[in-house]
Amino acid sequence: MTATQTLIALLLTPLVTATFIALFMRRLGAIASYFSVTASGLICIFSVLAIGHFDGSTIAVSWDWLRFGTFEVQIGFLFDSIAATMLTMVAFVGFLIHIFSLGYMQSDTAKARFFGGLSIFMFSMLGIILADNLIMIFVFWELVGFSSYMLIGHYLDTEEAKEASKKAFIVNRIGDLGFLVGIVYAYWHFGTVNLAQLEALVTAQPDLINATIAAFLMCGFIGKSAQFPLHVWLPDAMAGPTPVSALIHAATMVAAGVYFLIRIVFLFPVEVLDFISYLGATVAVYAGFCAYAQHDIKKILAYSTLSQLGYMAAAFGLGYPGVAFFHLITHAFFKALLFLGAGSVIHGCHHEQNIFKMGGLIKRMPVTSITFAIGLMALCGVYGMSGFYSKDAILIASGLTNTPIFVLLIIGAFLTAGYMGRLFWIAFLGTPNSEAASHAKESPLTLLLPLVILAMLSITGGLLQLWPDSLGGLIRYDVDHLHHAEQYDAMHYFVLKLGTAAWIIGLLAALFFYRVGASEDRLKKNFLPIFQFLHAKLWFDEIYNFYVANVQQRVARLLNFLDLLLIEGLLIRGSAGAISLLGMFARSIHVGNLHSYVYWFLAGMLLLWLACFGLF
Amino acid sequence: MTIGLNAFLMVSGLLFSIGIFGVILRKNTLVIYMSLELMLNAVNLALVSFSRYNATMDGNIFVFFIITVAAAEVAVGLAIVVALYRRRQSVMVDEINALSR
Repeated sequence: MTATQTLIALLLTPLVTATFIALFMRRLGAIASYFSVTASGLICIFSVLAIGHFDGSTIAVSWDWLRFGTFEVQIGFLFDSIAATMLTMVAFVGFLIHIFSLGYMQSDTAKARFFGGLSIFMFSMLGIILADNLIMIFVFWELVGFSSYMLIGHYLDTEEAKEASKKAFIVNRIGDLGFLVGIVYAYWHFGTVNLAQLEALVTAQPDLINATIAAFLMCGFIGKSAQFPLHVWLPDAMAGPTPVSALIHAATMVAAGVYFLIRIVFLFPVEVLDFISYLGATVAVYAGFCAYAQHDIKKILAYSTLSQLGYMAAAFGLGYPGVAFFHLITHAFFKALLFLGAGSVIHGCHHEQNIFKMGGLIKRMPVTSITFAIGLMALCGVYGMSGFYSKDAILIASGLTNTPIFVLLIIGAFLTAGYMGRLFWIAFLGTPNSEAASHAKESPLTLLLPLVILAMLSITGGLLQLWPDSLGGLIRYDVDHLHHAEQYDAMHYFVLKLGTAAWIIGLLAALFFYRVGASEDRLKKNFLPIFQFLHAKLWFDEIYNFYVANVQQRVARLLNFLDLLLIEGLLIRGSAGAISLLGMFARSIHVGNLHSYVYWFLAGMLLLWLACFGLF
Repeated sequence: MTIGLNAFLMVSGLLFSIGIFGVILRKNTLVIYMSLELMLNAVNLALVSFSRYNATMDGNIFVFFIITVAAAEVAVGLAIVVALYRRRQSVMVDEINALSR
């Protein structure tokens, strides 16, 4: 197969799978699940083939899709080093999570819907990765939003899942509106939405770069990657099944926002980049604080995801997209590992998610606990783990360029170690704090295998030397660039010391403050006001609810009234009334009596005659 | 003595008026039909008179056509009236008002 054929096959495999599941396998959950897992395995094979074709030079093909006058919408692939790297990560992590789902969703009653959803998600995500123009990205962007909605709401008989799926969908649409406006503006301004053409155009004429366009396009990133102020949907999205949280809300979809930024990095002027980096750094710290007031294992990880996305945004804004991308990839490995570990714990504890009701799991679930600990160390940036390399690079980049952001990110690193320590000491050590936890059993092999593989990747994923040569071009370039920066060595040791201090102090502080296997939150018990403040998460949900209930609702009522009065009353009822009056008149002529028709005929003749003589 | 054009046109107008009033006032479809034919023949008379008066054949030729068409029309029209009667046992127009319902 040629490279193009491989890419088409790659993109269509999950779509065909999802279609088949939706049409023929609604009631055949088991078959649907194997079908979907096979498809994700095929995606893996196809991506390996595609990367085999990839020799460092970009593969760009496109076809006409729609044509309106002079405006053409195309679909096409832009397969460069960035896309290849992202594709490898998504295909591989996706495959592992599919396998995990096989075990995790074993006893679910709606398996077909779940696995169909996973397949349609894979299709949408691959579309974003391969897309060669903004409109195609947008189409798949929305498809990703839809599949996320569908999978968050998988447990659709619970109120929480329903609310969360709606919230995720609506909040994302707000960001996407900005994205759409940005695309239209970009087309108007540049005359094209093709990424390669845009890059060529902007490289030739740097003064074409427009801050407004960049800011609008950034809105899409803010919504999808759950950055401030649209971050509210991500923690709630944990109402979905755990593999979904791992795949969509940790490893791939939320990272798609960052990936999108990296794809269009050439469109960004300095002001917008600065804004993104401050935004990211703020979110990194904010989310770190919020995590302390959560007791649900998945929500803690969700805030941790927010915080890490903040790191990526900060690195991107500082002008190191490669470093941001590096963190994206390593984060995908260890965050998928952490979420799947949490899934294994939840599976073992009979759907108990409260960490204060766990405790002592390390004895009952040794493999899960050890792999979870590896993920935790990678997240905290323990020396030698994958997270260390990428986080270290981000910290060095910020230390060399922007001190306020550096300080924020260091605080974030301390916070990360603290809340992850809190999670680990309480949930995995000590003695069981509930019936469910004391009966916890190690999960079956389908759950453990992905954990072990991801744990190995979390350890080694940061060693760029081990990566295939065709992958990670941008990452190598930016990291090299960083290594040759002035004062790199001094900053490197400084960050190494600070970063190591961060995880040691954070973990130890959590250990001494919370104690192993605690059954209640000491922060809540002894420092209630602080806990409540953190629990309120700066009252974002309350402010939004107030806004929706008191401002938006009133505007909506007013519009509804105007709609009733003007459109429905005047336009629709009015025009219908006029036509029915005409109809009544026409009906009165139609009496069914032959003689009256003769009179009408005569009257008509008379009128015609008068008209002929020009009397009208 | 010769009878002038006016006299012929007078008779033609009278025949036409009788026809019109027949169509307007009578209830029986057959009679209405005959009245229609009367109107046609009034027109024929006028055309023939003009033809004679102008000493051309235009009017006469026209009349041949009208007579032919009228014969065809009668064939169709009478058939319709017969069919109507078979279906409704009546040819009175005030009973034929299905369209108004």
